Amino acid sequence: MIEFFYRLRDAGIPVSLHSIMDFYEAVRKGLVSDMDSLFLVARLVFVKRVEHYDLFEQTFAAYFYGKDGAKILEEWEDLFNSKPFRRWLDEEIRSGRLDPKDAETLPMEELIKRFWETVIAQREAHSGGSRWIGTNGGSPFGHSAAVPQDGGIRVYGASVHGTARKVIGERRYINYADDAPLTKENLRQVLSSMKSLRPVGPLAELDVDETIYRTAKNGGEIELIFRRELRNKVEIVVLLDNGGYSMTPYIPLVKTIFHRIRDTFEHVRYYYFHNCIYGTVYKDPQRTKPLRWEDLLQLGPKARLIIIGDANMAPSELMASFGAIDMFTTVRKPGYQWLQELRKAFPASVWLNPIKKELWKYESSTIRRIASIFYMEDLTLGGLKRAVEYLNLQGSTVDAL
Amino acid sequence: MGATSNAIRFEGTDRYYLNPELREIVNIAIAMEKPLLLTGEAGTGKTRLAYEIARALNLKMEEARCKSTFKGEELCYVYDTVLRLNDSRFGSGNSGRNVDNIWDYIRFGPIGRAFIAEDRRVLLLDEIDKTDSDTQDNLLDVLEEGSFIIREINHKIEARVKPIIIITSNAKRELSDPFLRRCFCHYIPFPSPEEMAIIVKLHYPDIPDTFLEACLTVFYRLREQEFEKPPATAELLDWIGSLRASGLKGPGGGKDIPFIGTLLKRTEDILKFKGMRRRERF
Repeated sequence: MIEFFYRLRDAGIPVSLHSIMDFYEAVRKGLVSDMDSLFLVARLVFVKRVEHYDLFEQTFAAYFYGKDGAKILEEWEDLFNSKPFRRWLDEEIRSGRLDPKDAETLPMEELIKRFWETVIAQREAHSGGSRWIGTNGGSPFGHSAAVPQDGGIRVYGASVHGTARKVIGERRYINYADDAPLTKENLRQVLSSMKSLRPVGPLAELDVDETIYRTAKNGGEIELIFRRELRNKVEIVVLLDNGGYSMTPYIPLVKTIFHRIRDTFEHVRYYYFHNCIYGTVYKDPQRTKPLRWEDLLQLGPKARLIIIGDANMAPSELMASFGAIDMFTTVRKPGYQWLQELRKAFPASVWLNPIKKELWKYESSTIRRIASIFYMEDLTLGGLKRAVEYLNLQGSTVDAL
Repeated sequence: MGATSNAIRFEGTDRYYLNPELREIVNIAIAMEKPLLLTGEAGTGKTRLAYEIARALNLKMEEARCKSTFKGEELCYVYDTVLRLNDSRFGSGNSGRNVDNIWDYIRFGPIGRAFIAEDRRVLLLDEIDKTDSDTQDNLLDVLEEGSFIIREINHKIEARVKPIIIITSNAKRELSDPFLRRCFCHYIPFPSPEEMAIIVKLHYPDIPDTFLEACLTVFYRLREQEFEKPPATAELLDWIGSLRASGLKGPGGGKDIPFIGTLLKRTEDILKFKGMRRRERF
């Protein structure tokens, strides 16, 4: 049985010691009498999210009924009929890597194994081991074939050092909002320590001390004093740098944190920008729907502003007029002025940098400059903790107003 | 307590169709004394299940409909300061309350009542996802330990018999991991046409089979089209009720569905439905 628990873990279902104890408790109580009840008890104990139901069923079938479970066969058929697989097969045969005769005689497992090897190799080469790059990839393996075509040269070209001049015809974007499994449990605890206590709602909470005081002053005639209750109403604005290659190595990290922020708080708005902020941020990851600068500034001062970006750019992007990285920009103000405006509008704001703090001074001079405008921390648990503390401190003065 | 909990088995009731899998799940949760968290689309009978468990096992029910303003404590108890102040000023009259006795001013909420009861109760926390995540975590502590403290007098209330706890969520917001870990979670899928036929028959026992079949075909076809709010069980039952009350022989030929307002509730959905029909006609 222990092995089954590990299989579940390997499949990506979080199995805790606690739940294993629960499972044995159920066995002890005689709840597991046959295969059906074993299935139900195990699912109840181990599976907490509906997204994991399918994974659980497959793991269960594979473990208890062997590899020939009907489910798995069905999945193979799906895979064989899928476009990427067909394309891969054609390519293999055309290039002579695979004999057409072999394609018919090789066992299915072997073909699938080779297919995945190709996919994995492609991924590692072109996208830093991350599968979130690309355009709108619907299926998990569908878009990896498309990656080498767009902008492949740049992967090995100038962008390696993170400094890009004008990016012509840049069409790539990284969709951080895509769904990926959440990994870092402790993040939530850090984030949920973010507080913004504000009096809200009707005057409904009785101020007992004040009531007694006033009543006594009043010669015993009761005078009830009500106040608004304090509630934690954190509003967050997240600005994400989602363009260019300099952010590419940090995608998984940023994604995890972004997800945690989104799931932990009720009032979160997120906007995207590219490298530096020049008067506009965008509502969608593709950066086609702009949000007006004034509208963004208006969200302050009570909202907490979190900017996630590497602050790593060519110095001219930050300091020069017309410095914006896109060709057709007509923006005259240099980047740092926009940042200062933003900082003023959001007294409680931090810049989270995925580059480790120790490396800031080696990476780019712009990091230092931006850190003099925004309070900057790196995206480690410690950095995040300090950032939240800073936000709470700055925020408490704003909330009191 | 172990003996009694093993003896309790929920087998469904005559008014409520119970999927056999769900029946087993309820029984496992009861035997393990774990809160059962039910998620799923509206109209899959999450809330009804709690009522039916109470009815079938002949237990009393304590019900908390969650609101976003809940802090958790009011589900355990409320200390009525204003009333006590009033009594201390004007006297408690002949209400029998004694100003010196704080217990006369503490009112228990659903959790409190379930804990102090001599008998086993069914405790329903409906739509838990409406509350803050802090509230959820606090509540789970209370439910897991089966006790809470009345802060004003530092008095611990402990459950005499652990209630059967049913929690429902419409998954408007994600529930926290620690919360999920402490519950047994079950997602109720939307009933299949076969199951739906049984459910409808529980409400309209004399419905002719052909009529029912025609209604279900229309109903499931509507559900497949992507409406903002797809019709669910309650809408289906209303609709069939209207059809029967008006004496119609069938649910319409597919182009004109009578009483569409009972199935689709949103204006955009109705407009979409009508637009679609028109396009199909020409």
